[in-house]
Amino acid sequence: MELEHTIRQTLDQVAVIANCQLIDNITDDTVLLQSGLDSLGFAMLVAQLEEDLGIDPFSQMQIAVYPRTFAEFVGVYRQALANGN
Amino acid sequence: MNLLQRLQQAHYNSTAISAGADISYAQLITQAVQLRQQYPALQHQAIALSYTDLSTFTCALLAFDGWCRALYLLPDNTLQLPEHVIRWPENTPAGTATPTAEPTHWYLATSGTTGTPKWIAHSFTSLSRAAKASVQNATLHWALCYQPSRFAGLQVLLQSLLSGAVITDCSSGDSQQRYSLMQQHSVNAVSATPSLWRQLLMTAQLSALPLQQITLGGEIADQPLLDTLAALFPAARLLHIYASTEAGVGFAVADKRAGFPASWLNQCHSNLLLKIDAKQHLWLKPPQLPDTRLASAVDSDGYLDSGDLVTIVQDRVVFLGRASGVINVGGNKVHPEQVEQVLLQYPAVRQAKAYAKASSVLGQLVIADIVVDTGIDSKALQAQLVRHCQQQLERYQMPARFNIVSSLVTNATGKLSRKADVKEPHE
Repeated sequence: MELEHTIRQTLDQVAVIANCQLIDNITDDTVLLQSGLDSLGFAMLVAQLEEDLGIDPFSQMQIAVYPRTFAEFVGVYRQALANGN
Repeated sequence: MNLLQRLQQAHYNSTAISAGADISYAQLITQAVQLRQQYPALQHQAIALSYTDLSTFTCALLAFDGWCRALYLLPDNTLQLPEHVIRWPENTPAGTATPTAEPTHWYLATSGTTGTPKWIAHSFTSLSRAAKASVQNATLHWALCYQPSRFAGLQVLLQSLLSGAVITDCSSGDSQQRYSLMQQHSVNAVSATPSLWRQLLMTAQLSALPLQQITLGGEIADQPLLDTLAALFPAARLLHIYASTEAGVGFAVADKRAGFPASWLNQCHSNLLLKIDAKQHLWLKPPQLPDTRLASAVDSDGYLDSGDLVTIVQDRVVFLGRASGVINVGGNKVHPEQVEQVLLQYPAVRQAKAYAKASSVLGQLVIADIVVDTGIDSKALQAQLVRHCQQQLERYQMPARFNIVSSLVTNATGKLSRKADVKEPHE
């Protein structure tokens, strides 16, 4: 839950900088492309998470499938952190 | 006419260099003549000069211009010299040579702010073209803020010498130490990069200097900085100059506005023709090219690509940044200088540097490092800065992060250091 909390916090910060209007209630099943975050916001989110968590799972081609939902996105980070440990 | 002949003819009856002990123009000339007598074997040789102190260096310039075939002015970083070049004074051969009347080639290293430094040949005529002698200029006391082995520093030294002014070396130390030297010597003329001016302003003591001449060069002079300096010194002559080591001397803008008048594009200005190409590069056509090796970079009309990107806003040509420094955010080009200018408009921001960070999603993103007023609430500032930037920048130009830092690194030429800025992911 801590990881998800960090990602949600970062998402809110980044949405302000990238000027993205996020939908009110982002749940596990929210499709990322429909969350209000566009490619620029997504890039900033990944960059900020790299700063916060020390990893960028998208830069190392560790993932076979791009995350579609918010839960899948969190899962990618959880998996990457587990692999790193 | 060479440098020594120019000074012999001018008969300046005053101090030339103010340091621990002052040196007059007459003393400089005497010492230079002695140097020639001391080193007859250097005549028509190519020699390299390192900078040790201003008096020694200036004497050597006077002695060896018009005496040696080539003068290489060694910057403080080591740049390879051609094999035939003699390092003065350590490797001087014995014997004498036969005189010819060839003018000396001066070799200056480019700053290498964004690329590898290289040697560019100049002549004393081309280097001294911008130096203006006048009764008022003779009353100036210049601070030398850059090493005179570099283009910008040499310009200040030659301006001071050829107008009969006084100069003091303020080129080492941090901005506080430089300021103290300026104050100690009652300097009234300063030429510096916008980065260095901002650092000097941060001493909060600058207004105590009796400045009559303020020159900005080497980087883009932004309007807030010009406004700040104009307000602090309303009576001073405020110039921002555009010059490049490659093209030789450029031009000066005196109307206290950023950029230069668009009308200069259609006419010859300061012996220089200017044009903008379809890719927004500014091209310059000097009266003669300083270095024939640049011939390949010259178009069929004789113009040289400055590598600077410009745009026309109403009646002004304004600088966007270096073509080679563009950040690519998902195919959108961002000029780091433009982002910096927006950040610098915000009152609490004293210095700013924008640069690229590698992004696995969009190729690159913009990051900003800023120096801010002390005692400021960084969280509140961040939110205000985001709003400020959003009003003036496109979304892709927005810094993904604002890092508050205590200082920004400037290189030997006083410019913001831009090398090795692109951070690779997972380095």
